[in-house]
Amino acid sequence: MNTLEYRLKIDDEIVPVTVDMDAENGFTAVMDHQQQRVQYTMVSDYQIYLMIDGKGVNVYLNEDADGKTILVNGQVYQVQDADDLERKPARKRGARHQPTAVTPLTPSVVVSVLVAVGGRVEMGQKVVILSAMKMEVTLTAPYSGTVTGIHAVAGDKVSPGQILVDIQPETDPTSLT
Amino acid sequence: MMFKKILIANRGEIARRVLNTCRELGIQTVAVYSDVDSAAIHVLEADEAVFLGDAEPAESYLNIDKIIQAAKSTGAEAIHPGYGFLAENADFADRCQEEGLVFIGPPAAVIRDLGDKITARQIMIKGGVPVIPGMTEVETDPDTIRKMADEIGYPVLIKASAGGGGKGIRIVRSADEIDEACLSASREAQAAFGNGTIYLEKFFPKAKHIEFQVLADAYGNVIHVLERECSVQRRHQKIIEETPSPALDPALREKMGAAAVAAARASGYVNAGTVEFLLDTEKNFYFLEVNTRLQVEHPVTEMITGIDLVRQQLEIASGQALSIRQEAVKGRGHAIECRIYAEDPQQDFFPSPGRIVFLKEPAGPGIRNDCGVYSGFEVPVNYDPILSKLVVHAENRKAALQRMIKALQDYVLLGIKTPIPFLISVLQSNPFQTGAVFTDFIETHFSSWEPETPDQDIARLAFIAGEILGAGKQKKQSLVTSGIVTPFHTLGNWRL
Repeated sequence: MNTLEYRLKIDDEIVPVTVDMDAENGFTAVMDHQQQRVQYTMVSDYQIYLMIDGKGVNVYLNEDADGKTILVNGQVYQVQDADDLERKPARKRGARHQPTAVTPLTPSVVVSVLVAVGGRVEMGQKVVILSAMKMEVTLTAPYSGTVTGIHAVAGDKVSPGQILVDIQPETDPTSLT
Repeated sequence: MMFKKILIANRGEIARRVLNTCRELGIQTVAVYSDVDSAAIHVLEADEAVFLGDAEPAESYLNIDKIIQAAKSTGAEAIHPGYGFLAENADFADRCQEEGLVFIGPPAAVIRDLGDKITARQIMIKGGVPVIPGMTEVETDPDTIRKMADEIGYPVLIKASAGGGGKGIRIVRSADEIDEACLSASREAQAAFGNGTIYLEKFFPKAKHIEFQVLADAYGNVIHVLERECSVQRRHQKIIEETPSPALDPALREKMGAAAVAAARASGYVNAGTVEFLLDTEKNFYFLEVNTRLQVEHPVTEMITGIDLVRQQLEIASGQALSIRQEAVKGRGHAIECRIYAEDPQQDFFPSPGRIVFLKEPAGPGIRNDCGVYSGFEVPVNYDPILSKLVVHAENRKAALQRMIKALQDYVLLGIKTPIPFLISVLQSNPFQTGAVFTDFIETHFSSWEPETPDQDIARLAFIAGEILGAGKQKKQSLVTSGIVTPFHTLGNWRL
């Protein structure tokens, strides 16, 4: 009998799951004091058929840098192994929360830079306009402060990770939630 | 005489749609493509393919010289422009004619007339089609505009006469907002279209967007092919369309259909087009504009009538008379279309390009997916992000909604984000279910949306099963699932 302990994170919620493996392509899971018997069949690289306490469901998975993207009944879940996350250095991807830097989320072209070096910005203020896939997108200041550097001009092609505007925060950034 | 060879001057799902009908009719097909589309579905399914150039549209899909050259070098007799790109470019239609090629669409002069909102309004007034109360000439003096706004009654719309796609429009709710609105609408239109002329129209805050499909041959025969309701829009982009419209009864349908036919006649229309109307809360309808092309949402009309609109376009363009009489046009059941874009609904619908690692399309009775992508395809950053149009047809609206929700739940796309969870929420919502849909639907009910995640437990168990099985990634031995290895696949997701 193999017992595994997982701590699985979806959004901000981490749920511990205790898993007892058994011999026939299945395991028993205890989550939130509920026990469920799970059998699995791998249908293809990306599709698993699960039988959970006798009820069948197809799930689709894709591994990415943020854990696994899992589709169930048309809804998308980003599931991460919290233990894994704690081991690896924290990698902010600026996903569903406030951005921490002025950087594009996909390869884009700069349409215009709305601020100048020395100018003051408020958190949420528009700083750069980008164009991607015929859509205009606006990047905003992640915190209030002063612009200390601009690293892009209209017409530049930019990619995620590239910092387009440096902002010196006016308060200690570690005090922001 | 039907064409023997046609060039499709477009890409993605619409190019594939046109190709489908050509192949059914035994017409030879020529696709054109840019460097990021060398393994795109429309290239794979055509008889011949001509490379145009760089991904940048001006170098490829918008390049008139290259496209004309491609048609001549392959011996294509006609060009189908699809939608977007050159579909409503009157200069392109002229060039085709000059080069002895048939442009599958209306004459260039009609495209020009109807492309200018003021000219279109004037044509409709002469043709007896009701238009939105407002100006029929462009106006530069804000005081004159304000006077008319006072007469018509607020709220009003300052509109760019060369406009489209929501640009150059300002809603004005009181007289003191007029000056600023005129300035900024004009500036935006000047920047976007090179033409800053504006005019005034009444604004209807709670209106329905109802459009009628029309078909006209070169011999003066014009029919309408019923309506589509497209009120669910985001930033002036349609996302859900349906037919029939829950707001129309047979009498109103007949009146509006007759107005659509009158609009087509008044403008000298030939081939397929769409006459758009606004329906106010008192069931008064007003002409909005004519779209001089085959529209994105044409499949819902095809589903309820059984008519192949692309086939009609080819027959009209090849000189045949319309084979369908108005009395024979009947709709059966209800059809709904959802546009599936490569966008992330949780990041304010930010574009989500990248490689599709896995695709599983929904299927079953009454389910049609006009799809422009496949498993392994790298969705480029350079173009409109439409991946597919999911269409359902069922006996009535309630059954169609059930069918669409189930189809969306069955539609699997991994590797990029899509608005499928958002669409499911919209279709399940009470206002949509009851048909209480107006053009402000999204702002009113879905301005801040969070996905419903009822199956978190299942997702966690799936994660564990995935760890055990090593699922969610390709096995080391297999190549890219499409079997075609190009640098666009092996370089990874981020490319400049």
